[in-house]
Amino acid sequence: MFETRRISYRTLLQILLTILVIPFVFPLVAMIQGSLAGAGWDNYLTVLSVPLLPGFFINSALVAAAVIVIVLACTMAAAFGFSKLHIAGKEIYFWLLLAALTLPGVVLLTPLFATVTRIGAYNTLWAVILPVAALQVPFAVLLSRAFVDGIPDEMIEAARVDGAGMLRVFWSVILPLTRPIIAAVLVLVFISAWNEYLLALLFLQTPEQQTITLVPQFFVGQYNNDQTKVLAAAVLTGLPVVILYICLQRFFERGLAAGALK
Amino acid sequence: MTTTTTHRPGTATARRSLSRSSRLHRPSGLPWILPAMIVSVGLLYYCIFYTGYISTLEWDGAAPLQENVGLANYAKMVQDSVFWRSLAHTVVFFVATFVVQVALGLVFACLLHSRLYLKTLYKVLIFIPVVLATATVAPVFRQIYAPDGTLNTILRAVGLDALAQPWLASGTMALIIVISVQIWQSTGVVFVLYYAAIGQIEHSIIEAARIDGAGDFRIIASIIWPGVRGTTLAIGILSAIGSLKTFDIPFLITGGGPSYATEFLGTLIYRVSITFSEVGYGAAISIVLLALAIGAAIIINTGGRRGESNV
Repeated sequence: MFETRRISYRTLLQILLTILVIPFVFPLVAMIQGSLAGAGWDNYLTVLSVPLLPGFFINSALVAAAVIVIVLACTMAAAFGFSKLHIAGKEIYFWLLLAALTLPGVVLLTPLFATVTRIGAYNTLWAVILPVAALQVPFAVLLSRAFVDGIPDEMIEAARVDGAGMLRVFWSVILPLTRPIIAAVLVLVFISAWNEYLLALLFLQTPEQQTITLVPQFFVGQYNNDQTKVLAAAVLTGLPVVILYICLQRFFERGLAAGALK
Repeated sequence: MTTTTTHRPGTATARRSLSRSSRLHRPSGLPWILPAMIVSVGLLYYCIFYTGYISTLEWDGAAPLQENVGLANYAKMVQDSVFWRSLAHTVVFFVATFVVQVALGLVFACLLHSRLYLKTLYKVLIFIPVVLATATVAPVFRQIYAPDGTLNTILRAVGLDALAQPWLASGTMALIIVISVQIWQSTGVVFVLYYAAIGQIEHSIIEAARIDGAGDFRIIASIIWPGVRGTTLAIGILSAIGSLKTFDIPFLITGGGPSYATEFLGTLIYRVSITFSEVGYGAAISIVLLALAIGAAIIINTGGRRGESNV
């Protein structure tokens, strides 16, 4: 992009880039530094020795896994239906779905609360899983429908001529061809589910049921105001997503880009 | 959206009969979209209509006593100064985050499309804040801006004692901090979008402009900026809806304070519905919030479409 043939200019750009990145790194450095203040690595040992800690991670993993399964199943089937099958009033359904894209989670607060307590789902993971999945489906369908639109109808008709039923077409033609978008949806849904805070705060009351976004709060309660322990806990809860991001960097970027370029 | 249709002259008749027969056999797609419609539209619209109903009630959310008060909750909202302040904060938040993110994201995207060292490392560093939960990073920001926190320690160390202050105790400063955390957290997304969009601009156009003597700034202004217009629009919609949805950052870092200085619609709904147990009033604000979100999306989208045809 920029002219980088002159070495002095190139160095200048490199310095500019570094200066601009510093504010993005600073809080991360402060976080790690803070977590090592005082007792040093013992902060981590103290945090890790809290017997309830693995539970938070397991709950978050369960929520994320369930949300991913629900969203992917609903989304891929819907993308196929919207893109390739005949449905009366198809676009109306699609717009109903898209309008939900703008929905702020906090709007669901009271009705969800009333419903969840009535059906006895309070303090269960389902109270978080279903609303999070519901909020993720519209964007996922938008992404994957556009992708399935790009698959030629001829491929489906060829499979039909060979005697494949719709289920078979979906399973053997559509799914293998949509792998890139499945990966993108999976990654985006994972971040949202793993990072969900408000619904978890509202519906998960006992530490045994809580997810990792509630860990800092839990540790504030446990260690009063020992910031070093709270920060150590924060680093530990952030680590899995950062590692996952670094491993799957490609999919994160592609998923986001796919969403906006449409 | 692209649909690929290939026309091979010899197979036209075969194809016609094929599509007719397959149309006959092709079953309705309704069962395929049904799960998504039930999970998403079913649950969300149920909640929306329920919220609409609750917004006409005087209710604490738990007691069997519900009194229908018509539009009284909406009337109360119009007279509530905190509601208008929240709305003003949302507008300021939107304008500030949008402008700064677009500028930063574009600069990062251009720099990282140039031949520089360690580009992957920079990309990862810019994007890490995106994947971290606000709940995870909130303690760090509270620590940084605390009266005896990191920022004041640094200021005192370099002799700028006069600047050291309890940052989150000042209303204006707290709002700036909330905005800066949002910028910190989502510039990575904006950057990735611009990075992808710039990758789609024909390289030869840039080369041609360069041969004609255009400098870097001229290229950004005359080729890149118009070329990524669609992306800027998408970012506009995302930021507008994101601003209306703002909850985690003010809730976790400033708690909406000091004295409502960082109250947003999201935190206001939480405060009214949960803390004050005025569920009906909270629902009324929710309905307005929803209307604003849909309205913002429609306005930006149609405005953008109209402009697009001129390009």
